[in-house]
Amino acid sequence: MGKAFDPILIIEFLPTLIKYLGVTLEIVFFSMIFGTIIGIIVALPKLFHIPIVRQIVTLYISFIRGTPILIQLFLVYYGLPALLSIWNIDITRMDALYFVIITYSLSHGAIFAEIFRGAIQAIDIGQTEAAYSIGMKPLQSFFRIVLPQAIRIAFPNMANSIIGSLKDTSLAFTIGVMDMMGRGETLISSTAHALEVYISLSIVYYVIVLVFEKIFKISERYFNRYQPHGISSI
Amino acid sequence: MTIDYSFIWVAFKEILKAVPLTLVLTFVPIVIGFLIGLAVALIRAYNIKFLSQIANFYVSFFRGTPAIMHIMVIYFGFPILLDYLIKVFNLPFQSNNVPIVLFVITALTLTAGSYLSEIIRSGISSVSKGQIEAAYTIGMNTFQVVKRIVLPQALAQSVPNITNLIIGFLHTTSIAFLVSQKEITGAANIVASKNLKFLEAFIAAGIIYWVITLIIEALLYFMEKKAKSYSRNAF
Amino acid sequence: MIEIEGLKKKFGHNEVLKGINMHVEKGEIISILGPSGSGKTTLLRCLNYLESPDEGQIVIDDVLINAHKVNKKDIYQLRKKSAMVFQAYNLFQHKTVLQNVMEGLVVVQKKSVNEAKEKALEVLQKVGLKNKIDAYPSQLSGGQQQRVGIARALALNPEVILFDEPTSALDPELVGEVLEVIAKIAREGKTMIIVTHEMNFAREISDRIIFMDNGVVIEEGIPQQIFTEQKEERTRQFLKRMTPELDYSI
Ligand SMILES: Nc1ncnc2c1ncn2[C@@H]1O[C@H](COP(=O)(O)OP(=O)(O)OP(=O)(O)O)[C@@H](O)[C@H]1O
Ligand SMILES: [Mg+2]
Repeated sequence: MGKAFDPILIIEFLPTLIKYLGVTLEIVFFSMIFGTIIGIIVALPKLFHIPIVRQIVTLYISFIRGTPILIQLFLVYYGLPALLSIWNIDITRMDALYFVIITYSLSHGAIFAEIFRGAIQAIDIGQTEAAYSIGMKPLQSFFRIVLPQAIRIAFPNMANSIIGSLKDTSLAFTIGVMDMMGRGETLISSTAHALEVYISLSIVYYVIVLVFEKIFKISERYFNRYQPHGISSI
Repeated sequence: MTIDYSFIWVAFKEILKAVPLTLVLTFVPIVIGFLIGLAVALIRAYNIKFLSQIANFYVSFFRGTPAIMHIMVIYFGFPILLDYLIKVFNLPFQSNNVPIVLFVITALTLTAGSYLSEIIRSGISSVSKGQIEAAYTIGMNTFQVVKRIVLPQALAQSVPNITNLIIGFLHTTSIAFLVSQKEITGAANIVASKNLKFLEAFIAAGIIYWVITLIIEALLYFMEKKAKSYSRNAF
Repeated sequence: MIEIEGLKKKFGHNEVLKGINMHVEKGEIISILGPSGSGKTTLLRCLNYLESPDEGQIVIDDVLINAHKVNKKDIYQLRKKSAMVFQAYNLFQHKTVLQNVMEGLVVVQKKSVNEAKEKALEVLQKVGLKNKIDAYPSQLSGGQQQRVGIARALALNPEVILFDEPTSALDPELVGEVLEVIAKIAREGKTMIIVTHEMNFAREISDRIIFMDNGVVIEEGIPQQIFTEQKEERTRQFLKRMTPELDYSI
């Protein structure tokens, strides 16, 4: 079980680990962007009741919500090369980081789609009717009236799932990604001070989560500026 | 590279044996964590001196760090702590006699407690202040108000969130495979490595998780409907 | 029976009650009138210690509390002497009508379930809701909910019932049914302190009217006197605003 516990090491490991924070944030950032795009595309068939596509989308969302991110990661890691090899595309040598970003984007896409749909459906139909009554067209009404209000409702949930994804990046090392956690694992094999490494990692994750929470709280206040009582979530 | 469909079925049958452990790792922490969450939520709601500061940090830290850290820190830290206590008090056993699964359950219980406390707390704050005052004006004491007025409504309010948490925890247990637990993911990993058929094994594991998720959701949906029966019109 | 002396209450720097003295006889019906923000609600809430006064003394029946030396036990004793009817009803949302009324009887007064049920049915009959005993609050109209609120208070058989604007949250067409129930209880000789903006009701039902403004009692007297020959200018101004039709009735 390693060597004797040495609390000083917790501090000493911090700079080494923080150097790899960039990779962690890269995963969060790209999967958030792609996840949002996927989420919007996937929300549409359910909102507009498009047959068949709607069923496929429902199945996709159900699967993502029904399985651990770790399993999704393995499925993409082993499954995507197999799938693409059918068309003779070889991605077996692709950097593991891309598999992680693909997995997390797909995962976010499903979660975001549900958040968007819920938020849009939470807007009173009266808002749309009022928009039509002053002569707006459906698209105008959607983008100018419904969407801005929906974003306010969706925001706290999106913030939550982004923080969740930040914590989930700690699993990327399982397919060999050199992020903070991956670097931690190599530190463990070279120093045999596992406990100190994990405590050190916990501190970094905790601080980053606190910073994210702070940023989200400030943005939430901005989104709610025209709400008299500052309703922060539904 | 091709998929060996028949091996999915082979793996499926093998992994199925790991379902009980996954369910234990899911529900034991949720049940014990519920008690922790309840205590912590009340400590915070009633702002009990000193304890509430500890409670705040506990909730914030455990919710702010990945569950894998909780497992790893306890997996590596507990034996060190235990060995230290054994040495100090001269106790007649060894830390490596403690099964790893207990460390995992301890860690996940603390994780669950922090999330549940937050859920229960938001349930508590959903009970209107007026009802609490009304309870005081008919002469109830604080304990009676908490037990009879606040908690029943707070918990009914919490059911959907607890449902989500249970599903989340079912999935979180997958990381226990990293400390070589033979739950669903661990079992899949073993079958996969033995036969070098990773994709097939993880497809089987994915299907099993998916089905369990759907079953739990369906069960909890019915419970939820029952718990909310007093507010048929309000929602 | 009720004796309030030198009651003071501050919220931060805002002194809301500036030394209230008040005396209520057993069986008396008192209405408290006054402009918004004058401290009426705060006064009622001090009487059962939902707010703790900063200074003064409250006596209800044989319970005495001084703001300077209070303990939990005294507060519970004091609360058992009174019951309150809220503007927002505050019914227990997870309990049926019958359970709402039984709750205090069983939990606080330790009556047996059968005894409590009998008593609850009796008061629910009185407020005209015997046919709704199994409904949940969310299934009732505002007027019905407030009548349950009254039944919940009445069932405890308190020395005094405190009403804080019991009809202000109601649609106009539902006000009547609630006032009727209050009048009925009044006729049975229950001691009541009612904060209300229903001037005609206050005039008809009260034995005495207290007019408050800015945290002090400006004037008190029998309804006839308060409504027709006010001594104080502020009372006159307030009543003129609230009851324009009384303008020339002197
Ligand atoms: N919990 C509180 N914290 C701070 N200020 C309060 C609080 N409760 C009441 N106040 C203030 O005390 C003053 C008196 O309030 P109160 O509710 O007693 O008036 P009221 O006479 O009942 O008015 P209304 O007729 O509108 O009900 C107001 O200025 C109010 O803002
Ligand atoms: Mg008031």
